[in-house]
Amino acid sequence: MSRNAAQWTQRPRFPSSHYVDTRVYTDEQLFREEQDKIFNKVWVIACHESEIPNAFDYRTFQHPGGQNLIVMRGDDARVRAFYNVCPHRGNTILYDPAGNAKRMTCIFHAWSFDCRGSCIDISRGKEGFQDRLKLEDVSLREVRTDVGYGGFVWVNVDDEAPSLKEFIGDALAMLDPYMQEPMEVFHYHKAVVNTNFKLWHDTNSEFYHDYMHYFNRITGMMQPGYFDRKYVGYPNGHASVGSMEIKYDKYEGSKERRIGWPGLAPGGWILIDIFPGMTYNLRTSVLRMDTAIPLGPNKVVIEFRGLGLKRDTPQERLDRIRDHNSIWGPFGRNLHEDLLGVHGQGIAMRDERTDSHYVLHARQENMTIHDEGGMRHYYAEWSSRMGRAASDPYGERSTAKGAAVAA
Amino acid sequence: MNPRAAIEQLVYRSCLLLDERNFNGYLGLCDPEFRYSITAHSPEIRKDMIWLDHDKAEMQTLFNNLPRHNSDHSPLTRHATVYTVDIDEAKGEASVVSALQVFKTALDGGTTELFGVGKMYDSVRLNGAGPKLLRRTIKLDTRMLGIGYHIPF
Repeated sequence: MSRNAAQWTQRPRFPSSHYVDTRVYTDEQLFREEQDKIFNKVWVIACHESEIPNAFDYRTFQHPGGQNLIVMRGDDARVRAFYNVCPHRGNTILYDPAGNAKRMTCIFHAWSFDCRGSCIDISRGKEGFQDRLKLEDVSLREVRTDVGYGGFVWVNVDDEAPSLKEFIGDALAMLDPYMQEPMEVFHYHKAVVNTNFKLWHDTNSEFYHDYMHYFNRITGMMQPGYFDRKYVGYPNGHASVGSMEIKYDKYEGSKERRIGWPGLAPGGWILIDIFPGMTYNLRTSVLRMDTAIPLGPNKVVIEFRGLGLKRDTPQERLDRIRDHNSIWGPFGRNLHEDLLGVHGQGIAMRDERTDSHYVLHARQENMTIHDEGGMRHYYAEWSSRMGRAASDPYGERSTAKGAAVAA
Repeated sequence: MNPRAAIEQLVYRSCLLLDERNFNGYLGLCDPEFRYSITAHSPEIRKDMIWLDHDKAEMQTLFNNLPRHNSDHSPLTRHATVYTVDIDEAKGEASVVSALQVFKTALDGGTTELFGVGKMYDSVRLNGAGPKLLRRTIKLDTRMLGIGYHIPF
């Protein structure tokens, strides 16, 4: 029997940790708070060290907190990050997504900066500012930067935040043995999807949606060991999923995996979600990295990177590219399905007058593969950082209870 | 029909057949040694990328598996313009460069958006009954394909 309006909007009969109010995906105010209380407080991945291998190489990065950054390797090989904003009139300094610049010169009025963020030239400075402005008064704003956990470049715009090491804790220990060799990015593309960034991270945090993927059903779900994979939650909202042996040959047309990944069992698969929107995904012969950058409550840009080993021979690299593309490329079998899934959620939760009111995270299967504990773990961290319950972000339940008691 | 006209017909028919999802018809235009690739250059990582690379049998498998997958059903419309045809009579092959635009039309309401832009670099085998596609490399300028697509261009 279907439900009427009152039944549809009723809170689920689960503990409050087992569902969320869909306004956490649609509300503009909550999104702005997420930028301030989450993204501007945590470490996020800006790029990979292999994208800036030489002195003065740079990448620009749109930080999910809203800032535009420059990530640059200095003349001392150290990687630093700066706001991509000229202190003079607020113009963008570097326009291209990547390049090499011994000096960064703003095209607007030709102020120049070096790779360490110092202002090194103000055009006609003496004539205009006399002795009222020194170069050191207008250096760039540097952002905390660290390189690690597979050679990724991490940034944190909060000068007071705990270190990257404290933020990650033991969450990446399962992957650590497989990230000892230098890696290199060979694939990069972005997808802009009208959906909330957390819905993408949710998809990376649960495997129940393998029902959507023919490839995963045939090579994983129908194979021994699939239901033994377990979620493990770590401090700060991170979570991992244990490995199993994927039977790639069960998919018609799937070629023998020739190359693999050093130390990883054939068919092995390790997935680790880093709060609030990054995912390490190691399977076959490729490490995939997703980074979600929200543009609004219902719009996200997701960066997809595929990485191999820096020492790859040309043939090994081609094998990795083939493995990557078969499921994860823009024309791959799985990525399109995953994006189609969150695109559909974005349609159903398109604004604050959404058709959907609650999303269930209530599956309990001893934290094995179809348990939704990974998402519960995430939203516990989200609630703690936001000072709001994900199941009741505006405290209406407690207010209603209070009113009922008073009456 | 002169060779250039026959080659242009081959390119245009390949677009029409894929638009119609007539995959067997499309593969019928291809030489047994056919190879298909989609590539793009990433200014972000400053590298050329391969996004798809299949021989004829792999293309057949890709098409066979389509009904088993969940896919965006919005139809695509491919628009090609053959720019240059260079015929190597001694080799019995032609090199063809075409501009390609791909449009996507939403099923609900029929809004059409430009989905992708690039160029098609075809090698065409001229021996035998008629021209056949020997190799097709699509170099995409567009790298933002939204939720992606399961059917090649």
